[in-house]
Amino acid sequence: MNWNSKDLDTYFQQKEYIDTLLVPLLKIDTTPEQLKASTSSTEFLMHLSNFIETQFKGRMMVMPPFTYTQSTSLNEMGEVLQKDLQQLEFKHIFYLTTDREWTDVETYGEMIWIPSIPLESMDKQLRQTIIEDQLRQVLPTLTKKWTGE
Amino acid sequence: MSKNRVSRRQFLSYTIMGVGGFMASGTIMPMLRFAVDPVLQKEGEGDFTATPQKVDELTETPVRVDYTIVDREDGWYKSDESYSAWVYKEGDKVIALSPVCKHLGCTVNWGGDKNHPDQFFCPCHDGRYYKNGDNVKGTPPIGPLDEYLVMEKDGYVYLGGTTPNTLV
Ligand code: FES
Repeated sequence: MNWNSKDLDTYFQQKEYIDTLLVPLLKIDTTPEQLKASTSSTEFLMHLSNFIETQFKGRMMVMPPFTYTQSTSLNEMGEVLQKDLQQLEFKHIFYLTTDREWTDVETYGEMIWIPSIPLESMDKQLRQTIIEDQLRQVLPTLTKKWTGE
Repeated sequence: MSKNRVSRRQFLSYTIMGVGGFMASGTIMPMLRFAVDPVLQKEGEGDFTATPQKVDELTETPVRVDYTIVDREDGWYKSDESYSAWVYKEGDKVIALSPVCKHLGCTVNWGGDKNHPDQFFCPCHDGRYYKNGDNVKGTPPIGPLDEYLVMEKDGYVYLGGTTPNTLV
């Protein structure tokens, strides 16, 4: 499911099935020499979360990316998310990010860190293969949570 | 002076500006993509799209065929929309099924469940379908997988819009 009103209605009716929240965490780095890398990782994260959404539409609500710039305190942001996301009644919460710094932050839910791959220079087919490969990396984390109860 | 007073007109114009600002804001653009998505997925009937799949390489075992409808513009970036189908041959007839699960819309895979290698499997809530798309009773899906309209041209498979399953 996507974070829009139509999908939210479906969510309300099918809560028992849609038990997982995916929160993409998107860093925008505004230092000039990082701009290119920043757009590249943005594209990567968006592609990957969209792909995960189509694969697991019926089980997951995929949020729009939570976006922050490089001076943001991740500890604070993590605390706020922890507090606020808890109010949603999802059994499982996953974060998806290419920003390695999140791996040191305490969060409510499971952090999935995945290094960004520059997709922009690839043709369609290769890009799809890469994204699928990345999903395969992420998959064990998801299924472990899903089946581990 | 009038700092604390917001007239009706001001209020209205704030609201409108608010909406405009919302639309223009770069960080919110991905949401637009989400919002626009269902519209994009609706395909016009009668439009067929070429796939890279050769007809004579098909067998009775479903294979995943990915194809792209080019130049779809959406809020996030100009992108080509990707679609998939499960395609196989039944005698001389080419059959293409939609991978979209009829329960809540996850993507199904052929042979995705080790215990049922000859069925489609939905990983979300263990939904299953027979090869013709019929849903296995007792699993969550409430109907059979949709079928794509299929056309053969120059030895390749062309796919059109989806229709309710005619094989079940
Ligand atoms: S979405 Fe396929 S079984 Fe629930």
